[in-house]
Amino acid sequence: MVNRKTAKFLSFRYTILAIIFVVLAGGLVLLPKYEKHEGINPEELLSNSVSPERYISTDALANKIISQDPSFILIDVRGEDEFSKYSLPNAINIPLKNLLDEDSLMYLNQNQYDVVLFSNDNFYADQAWILGNRLSFQNLKVLKGGINNWYKTIINPPIPTETMPAQEFDLYTFRKSASMFFGVVYPEQIKEVKKPVVKKVIPKKVIPIKKKKKMPVEGGC
Amino acid sequence: MGPLIPNGVIPYEWNNIIAILIGIFFGFILEASGFSSSRKLAGVFYGYDFAVLKVFFTAALVALIGILYMDYLGYLNMEQLYIHPTYLWGAIIGGVVMGVGFVAAGFCPGTSLCAVAIGKIDAIVYVIGIMAGIFIFSELYTLFEPIYNGYFEGNITLMDSLGVNRYWFAFIFTIIAIVAFAASDMIRKRVKKIFY
Amino acid sequence: MKELEKTKRISIASVLFILIVLIGLLTYKRPPHMYAINSKTTLENITTDNFLISLEDIENKEYVLIDTRNEFEFQKGHLNNAVNIYAPEILNEENTSIFNKFQEENKTMVLYSTNPNEIVAPFMVLYQLGFKNLKMAAINNSYNQNKLITENIDVEKSEADINAFINESIKKAAKQSKPKPIVKAPPKKVIPIKKKKKMPVEGGC
Repeated sequence: MVNRKTAKFLSFRYTILAIIFVVLAGGLVLLPKYEKHEGINPEELLSNSVSPERYISTDALANKIISQDPSFILIDVRGEDEFSKYSLPNAINIPLKNLLDEDSLMYLNQNQYDVVLFSNDNFYADQAWILGNRLSFQNLKVLKGGINNWYKTIINPPIPTETMPAQEFDLYTFRKSASMFFGVVYPEQIKEVKKPVVKKVIPKKVIPIKKKKKMPVEGGC
Repeated sequence: MGPLIPNGVIPYEWNNIIAILIGIFFGFILEASGFSSSRKLAGVFYGYDFAVLKVFFTAALVALIGILYMDYLGYLNMEQLYIHPTYLWGAIIGGVVMGVGFVAAGFCPGTSLCAVAIGKIDAIVYVIGIMAGIFIFSELYTLFEPIYNGYFEGNITLMDSLGVNRYWFAFIFTIIAIVAFAASDMIRKRVKKIFY
Repeated sequence: MKELEKTKRISIASVLFILIVLIGLLTYKRPPHMYAINSKTTLENITTDNFLISLEDIENKEYVLIDTRNEFEFQKGHLNNAVNIYAPEILNEENTSIFNKFQEENKTMVLYSTNPNEIVAPFMVLYQLGFKNLKMAAINNSYNQNKLITENIDVEKSEADINAFINESIKKAAKQSKPKPIVKAPPKKVIPIKKKKKMPVEGGC
């Protein structure tokens, strides 16, 4: 049996509950504020960005472009003027400072395609990658060495000297034919009278990730 | 960590099962607290029973304060929560229609189903009315569509549209709620007691 | 007494509720590292401010050099007065305290490594954690006969004009034989962005 004292105390029960509410709500106002933690942990970000996993080599990329692999999009993070001078085929230009604009997020924050970021070197592309990784964008890649390396290896591959191993020659043959694909013409090529094939490009549609929370809700009392 | 399902703590497939469990529990609580009685529900409009007001206000407060605390401490990411989109005039007109129905019949859609479950005849009539309303609405959808889909304000919250700090908003809301509870108690004491 | 039976239930529920709140507060652990700035401001800052610094400017009393290569490389040779903090270990407790110390002393930390690409990762992480006085040294470190050679480099400089090179190659080839192949650069396509219309949602009380 509940004794009289507790009964008296409990007659104030609604007042007590009301006070608890006010205290809790007041606590919210008084709590020290801090900047919201956005994105993944710094520790995780560091270990992701230190690892070289994100790099894709120029050879692998050239192979993908030539074989018309449909599973990736190229994003050029350089400025517009450099983009208009030369860029990889079918690249989309998103200058680094526009990286987090709503229109760019359409390309970056999706899980349909691999996104290969590149710039002249991989300096800016890495910065873009790290920002993207913090916001946990999926499937971002960086072209190792960027356009400069692209030039050095694919467009103008160094001719191996006689003493080099056979793999080097294979690699050179691949790179040379790749460079032909990208428009470079070699003197001996003319004899065969071959028109470089200009590939028709099928534009890719990027569908932004559907958020799971968009479920229709039934609700109510 | 949270919300649990979008972050993969609970697999997505459990969604419906959890919904059913919560629904059963919700219905049980509604019935247990007497909300399947239309007289209790209508009491809030006639001033002899404010249980509905108190229960729903308290539920909103507990959820609001709890979510804000969990968000603050990092247990829950508030940005991932679903915010109901606002279609301004659709909401206003729908609210008025629903309110009239509430006063007239003494049920809101959720409690009416509870009452059907315990076999109340007025609730059965009410539910048939709901079905008829849904039917009319669907048939005349093309007519209503401009209001239904128009005046879209986005997924906004009161805090966004008023531009107040959300913690202050929670605090002020709590004060308003408690004042409302006290006031409703006073009104109830003045109104003639009705036994039902 | 029936009223009081109900009260008991309410009290138990409220005690449980408060208990949950308390447990939540007590088990809460503040993460050791917190971002000080969000990604938008970071992006704005790194694209507008210049964080690169050349070899000549490094000789400054206000600057502390931080070598982010591993210890082995550091022992082989490093710049004068440099501190060695290996890039993957910058968030270790002791290293964080080193960074904090420099921050308090208002010294500018200059990161350097084998080449500027290597310091992007530690720089970006530290910058987002709120270390404002950070610089990146635009220098290359290489070895020639076991001697460290440090030289300035231009970050992100375009090394070659590829279009010119391709045109050149076409011309050269055309000189040798008559038929001139038509070379067209593959067209750049900008994909139109499609906005998805939000589905109307059913709901309500």
